[in-house]
Amino acid sequence: MTIKKQLLKRILRTLITAIGVTIIAFLILHLTPGDPARIMLGSYASEENLEAVRAKYNLDEPLHIQYIVWMENLVKGDLGTSIRYNRSVNNLLGDRIAKTLLLTVTGLVFSIVFGVIFGILAALKRNSWLDYISTVQAMFWISMPSFWLGIILLYIFGLKLNLVPISGTGWTALILPALTLGLRQEAWFARPMRAEMLEVLNQEYIRAAKAKGLKYYIVVTKHALRNALIPIITMLALRLPWIIGGSIVIEVVFSWGGMGTLLVNSVLARDYPVVQAILLIISIAVVVANLLADMVYSWVDPRIRMEG
Amino acid sequence: MSELNTNVNEEINVENIKKELSQLKNKKTSQLSLVWRRFKSNKLALTGFIIVSLVIFVAVFAPLLTPYEPFATNPSIRLSAPSSAHWLGTDAMGRDVLTRLFYGARIALQIGVLIILFEGFIGILMGVLSGFFGGIIDSIVMRLVDILRSFPVIILAMAIAGIMGQGLYNVVIALGIVGWTTYARMVRSKILSIKEADYIEAGYSIGESTFSIITKYIIPNAIPTAIVMISIMMPTALIASATLSFLGLGVQPPTPSWGSMVAAGRDYLLQAPWISTSAGFFIMFTVLGFNFIGDGLRDALDPTTKH
Repeated sequence: MTIKKQLLKRILRTLITAIGVTIIAFLILHLTPGDPARIMLGSYASEENLEAVRAKYNLDEPLHIQYIVWMENLVKGDLGTSIRYNRSVNNLLGDRIAKTLLLTVTGLVFSIVFGVIFGILAALKRNSWLDYISTVQAMFWISMPSFWLGIILLYIFGLKLNLVPISGTGWTALILPALTLGLRQEAWFARPMRAEMLEVLNQEYIRAAKAKGLKYYIVVTKHALRNALIPIITMLALRLPWIIGGSIVIEVVFSWGGMGTLLVNSVLARDYPVVQAILLIISIAVVVANLLADMVYSWVDPRIRMEG
Repeated sequence: MSELNTNVNEEINVENIKKELSQLKNKKTSQLSLVWRRFKSNKLALTGFIIVSLVIFVAVFAPLLTPYEPFATNPSIRLSAPSSAHWLGTDAMGRDVLTRLFYGARIALQIGVLIILFEGFIGILMGVLSGFFGGIIDSIVMRLVDILRSFPVIILAMAIAGIMGQGLYNVVIALGIVGWTTYARMVRSKILSIKEADYIEAGYSIGESTFSIITKYIIPNAIPTAIVMISIMMPTALIASATLSFLGLGVQPPTPSWGSMVAAGRDYLLQAPWISTSAGFFIMFTVLGFNFIGDGLRDALDPTTKH
């Protein structure tokens, strides 16, 4: 199959997934039997209010019509109206998307940096105490729920040592939540990095580079690392939903004013237009990121074919 | 080689092939004991095994291990620090924290096992169907997997738990609806490799039905994969269910769930840090145990890959 055909096939698959994602986000409200209007407003809502909500969200129409109307609005960029705030969801999300993105990306950078460093050190000093520590620390972070790790960091560095603010939105307030996210996810990069590095270090061209008399750190950074980094891209795409999910939870711990706090409050208040919008934004971001990762992957390593 | 020659000379009949197949099955049993030997010699795996046994012990014998009741409030001793009477202190309602953590082990393991059963059943079924039949069934199942995996587990589970209402069984359903995809993928790829194996062809050649091929050869051979999957998925199930409880979308107070105890202790972090820290420690300890076991099993079942 030519590269072009592969790419087209992959894009088509992405489109199908994206449409599926909109269907799931739409159907979420219809998951349980019962009147969606009542689910949104609660069991004590007056008949008048229920009618108003039914009319506003076309809840009397058949499901497929509701979906089409919802999609039409989406295509126009209209995410709907929040029941709780009586404001447009677009307006409500506003800079919250950017805040969540900031936290996610910073956390991601932390996790990749920690992961790559630990992975390389473990591979270079294979079977040493450093390798052992790298494995055990990874296991520890993986076993900690992110909300608890966040609380512990908050307690030590925020409340006891007073080194960083415990909430807020400034740069210093970003450190703890991003660190929580980074530590929790780091293990997922450290392990494949170690394995890959061990494999690359055994390759002929590394031996050749060493034999040429190149300095050790040049062999490691220029020759080995460059090739060992490729699987990190795959891991990144695989972990992305988890990283976003993690940042949503961590936002709640640190009262970070992103989509996470809004999502939890909206779920608790049954403000489903907001919940649907956030589900949609995040999952479409994951779908697009996966496609990009696949494309980058086949670009940096042409031997790899895109999955059909 | 000589064995092969004598086989060729023999008359090939169904009985012989059946005998060979049963010999192959016996070989499998010895493989299992080999796996167990490898598992036992792995120190971390053994540590995990001890940790998990300890948690199960605590969950089963909770009422015998503590003189207190998990729901008995006592405002006069609220937020008291750890002491000889209350080893891990008391919470905002004067309840013994350690007692609630012991009873919380019951909730955690119960939810964990139910999630594994629920998502494992759907996932293995879907994986077998999709891997074995291929074609349109495979395409549909795999697209559904793609779609569901585009949602962060915890976010979709939050939305589902929100709409279905809080509570233990809804947590299981919310996490299971998303979690089965991991099993389906793993089982499918395992089935695809098993399908190519000679003994499946042999099974067909002696006239076994599709159903008996699936139940007699494919499923037993996919079991090691399933066992590893369960040990890998248990930590995820425990952390995700604790997260839902922490966010107020899972098991509700006063039921002593570890996640909601961390959340409750958060408001008293300065006065009574023992509530959140000890509850989180129990989650970490248990998850760590399952992670050690999972790693050990993976190495034991497939010693060629080093993690």
